[in-house]
Amino acid sequence: MSGLRLARLALTAFLFVCGLAQAGETVYRVAIIGNSPPMSYVDEQGRLTGFNVAMARALCETMHARCELRTTPLDRVVDTVAAGEVDFAVVSLLATPERRAKVLFSKPYYRSLSIWLGRSSSTPGKAGSRVAVVRGSAQARHAEAQEWTLLPVASHAELPPLLAAGKVDAVVVPMSTAVGLMAERSLQPLDLRPTILSDPLLTGDVCISIDPRQPGLKERIDAAIDTVKRDGRYDRINTQFLPFRLQ
Amino acid sequence: MPPPPSAAVQSGPRAGTLFAWVAMVFGLIFAGFVAWLEVDQAALLATTAKLQTQALPYAIEQQRLARNLEVLRLEGERVISGNTPQARQQALFIVSLMASHPSLLEHREARALAAETESFLAAVARHGGADATALAEWKRLSQRLSLAADDITIDGVSLASSEAQRMGEIVQQARHKLRAVLVLVLLFLGGLLLLIRKLLIRPLQRIDASLAELKDEAAPLHLPGSTLHEMQAVETAIGQLRTVMHEHAQTRRALEQLAATDALTGLHNRRHFMQLAEIEFNRARRHGRPVSVALADLDHFKQINDRYGHAGGDTALRAFAELARETLRHADIASRYGGEEFAFVFPETTPQEAQLLAERLRHRLSEQRVALADGRRLHFTLSIGIADGAGLSLEEALSRADDTLYRAKAAGRNRVLLASAPAGCVLPFRHDD
Repeated sequence: MSGLRLARLALTAFLFVCGLAQAGETVYRVAIIGNSPPMSYVDEQGRLTGFNVAMARALCETMHARCELRTTPLDRVVDTVAAGEVDFAVVSLLATPERRAKVLFSKPYYRSLSIWLGRSSSTPGKAGSRVAVVRGSAQARHAEAQEWTLLPVASHAELPPLLAAGKVDAVVVPMSTAVGLMAERSLQPLDLRPTILSDPLLTGDVCISIDPRQPGLKERIDAAIDTVKRDGRYDRINTQFLPFRLQ
Repeated sequence: MPPPPSAAVQSGPRAGTLFAWVAMVFGLIFAGFVAWLEVDQAALLATTAKLQTQALPYAIEQQRLARNLEVLRLEGERVISGNTPQARQQALFIVSLMASHPSLLEHREARALAAETESFLAAVARHGGADATALAEWKRLSQRLSLAADDITIDGVSLASSEAQRMGEIVQQARHKLRAVLVLVLLFLGGLLLLIRKLLIRPLQRIDASLAELKDEAAPLHLPGSTLHEMQAVETAIGQLRTVMHEHAQTRRALEQLAATDALTGLHNRRHFMQLAEIEFNRARRHGRPVSVALADLDHFKQINDRYGHAGGDTALRAFAELARETLRHADIASRYGGEEFAFVFPETTPQEAQLLAERLRHRLSEQRVALADGRRLHFTLSIGIADGAGLSLEEALSRADDTLYRAKAAGRNRVLLASAPAGCVLPFRHDD
């Protein structure tokens, strides 16, 4: 009789603790962009993957949180984070002053360059060159400022066909995208020539953008970046998606 | 009641105050040492934090940089040995990326080497391949890239290594300090023990000894002269106790003297004589030793009183007592038995030996002239009856001596008679007359 009561008590306590654990679990909404190999894309098996996707998962694991990944177009990322529709975005955003005014930035998790990748006949600034950029990117903002002839697209995945079809002479992209495009089989006959753009707004720290109403989350993410960089997961993810160290 | 000990005498510090001071001084010194150790602990924590937050991340970053130099070298190999212009172009692109990467640009040596490599490889790519000279040059460049990667890796570890060394030094220093603290604690404990020994244990031992000596009135009182107030109070109390005990003992002795002594002659009185004689008889009986008793009576004492007054009688009694003290042995017990009658016990003495003694006493008295206060000289004699005490009780022996004394009186006085043996023979002994 008393054994039965004890068992019932234990069961109640167990369920209570489970309920607490359930209630205590943190869930973050995390924005990523799709169709941007090798940083975030859908692989042959249909799984969302890439450097930023793996980093998002590693950071959430480190923060003991469950993350809901939400695919967002690049030109919507900053506004979505600023509006609090997601908690943070693991999207390779160069930390420009314009963006810093809208969202919180984590400490840099790597540093990047911007590349002009074009046919040998076109060089940066050459009149008449048609240039494709991804909407919302720092490169797009730079190209607009340079008053180049632009063809804005929604994602990096749209760039190779445009180049291959001759609809644009060049693209301006981050270095990771340029590495992918250089290796793209369909673009090999074009003999694309890369030029590293030296504008300060196109080079430097890449950060995770965070809902500005959650300064505590920034501290947690900064600590998680340190941990992931220290315990080797960062380098394993790096090796998986890029041929050199991102740093 | 003796007056309470005055504060002026006990001027030493109180034990509680003294030990509180000692504890406070030690506590302060110990706290100082702990603070001193705390400095090391803080330095150790700071160094550990520095290792975690700076040295280790720096080591990892330097490794990444070295890795990128290695990437530069491998892509350079592809530029040199690439099969297609596209492959060479791809490799050259990675080389350019590496040479322009912000992290590599931050490192002076790596930056220079990467720039040199990039321009060399760009020239090779422009020329569509490498000739023998270029291959030799690439071999040297490739070697330099590998060496730079090694140097950068080692440099990354060196900071962590120096921090680790610093931690080791701090721990070593802390060990020395701990030993110093240990020595201090031991010294303090030793000092405390010495202090306790000097201020508490030794005075207590001396007080104990002086308490033991209290019984012995003759022994001088050794008071230690303690430092501590409490000890001084105890010593003062012991001194007062000793004075009181001494006075009590003197009084007791005086009372005993009064109770045991005949006031006129200074000999034992009858009551005390009976006690002493009983002890001697018991001893003789227990050990089977000889013992003798004697009763003496001054001859014609009533006439002395009549002729010279009671003062003359008293003088005669005192003179005889003095003579008895001079003549008899130390162990012999002499007493004034009553009036002009005296009783004696001779321990360890046969009747014959006692008779010799008694005869000597009788003889000396008969030759003595006692000077009275008025200048007249008094001559008197005595008669003595001796009995063997062996096998008899004191009373029986005294009774026999008394009988013998009467016989001596009856026989003409001024003589010593020995009680007859059981056979009843009388052995008169006249040395002179």
